[in-house]
Amino acid sequence: MSTLHVLSHSPFGDDRLNSCLRLIGANDALLLTGDAVYALQPGTAPFNALNARAPRLFVLTEDAQARALDIPGTAKGIDYPAFVELSLHYDKVNSWL
Amino acid sequence: MPTSLLVISRQAPWSGPSAREALDIVLAGGAFDLPIGLLFLDDGVFQLAAKQDARALQQKDLSANLQALPMFGVDDLFVCADSAAERGLDPTGLALEEARVLSAEEITALIDRYDQVITL
Amino acid sequence: MAAVSLIESTMKFAIALFSAAHAPSSRRALLFARAALAGGHEIVRLFFYQDGVYNASGSVVTPQDEEDLPRQWRSFITEHRLDGVVCIAAALRRGVLNAEEAARYQREAVAVDAPWELSGLGQLHDAVQDADRLICFGGA
Repeated sequence: MSTLHVLSHSPFGDDRLNSCLRLIGANDALLLTGDAVYALQPGTAPFNALNARAPRLFVLTEDAQARALDIPGTAKGIDYPAFVELSLHYDKVNSWL
Repeated sequence: MPTSLLVISRQAPWSGPSAREALDIVLAGGAFDLPIGLLFLDDGVFQLAAKQDARALQQKDLSANLQALPMFGVDDLFVCADSAAERGLDPTGLALEEARVLSAEEITALIDRYDQVITL
Repeated sequence: MAAVSLIESTMKFAIALFSAAHAPSSRRALLFARAALAGGHEIVRLFFYQDGVYNASGSVVTPQDEEDLPRQWRSFITEHRLDGVVCIAAALRRGVLNAEEAARYQREAVAVDAPWELSGLGQLHDAVQDADRLICFGGA
């Protein structure tokens, strides 16, 4: 079984990213949307935590683009049609509301 | 086979209606005889702290609803050990005795066992 | 990096929205829903819970220079004849009442009418049982 975890909160001053990274499984993936893309800000604790755990990583392109954040080579930027496909590729979607 | 649903409750008891609304999803599922599990994670573990007094805040005491879970057929209750420890809660002294205390690895496996999940 | 395989069969989605119309996650929910239909998939139900009920409110007046999510949801649901269900308990608590509930509780403002339907959490569970995937949007 595999889960697509979806985050949408800024990782600064919020524990969703860290809690998610603690639970994310080997077959799972993480999709950063909304303010969660701030985790891509280099040189920060969330960025380091993300790289240390190194889950399969997807980023909603529009959110990275809006915030002038680079999507690293280890992640894949996606649009909404790809988001739909991802949600079907993984067995379930766990949005951290 | 019915689709199983895991509800992950992450909010403290009185941080708004979230704790109650998570519980309402679980109780509704139980009432319809659906396979439902409930995991208390992060601040959600505070819902199980002992000796709370909701009346001091004129808030609803959710502990009666929590105790009612097995009566609604919801026996799959879980607590995150790390979340409890980080918050200074003794996992053996929590208000829901039926709740199984799980490690991070066990929670990863738990999420895998359910068909769908709602984390609020 | 995982390769994303193309899903060719029609899959059924239950989409639940927990945030208000002005939240960015509400817009994402609508764009996801549109993409799901455009991809040839089916939406068995849109279920609005917690602050998501505000998306159904006809009382919301969106600033002119912002996207009018309530109007867009209404158009989307009407155009595609979708099942747009608003949790009645969540709606009452937040003052999003239809005519029946407004009469029952003697409230002045009627905020919801067709195509929206006020109903219980059983409808969320029904949708979860019927669908291949449950996708939740909310929070931020």
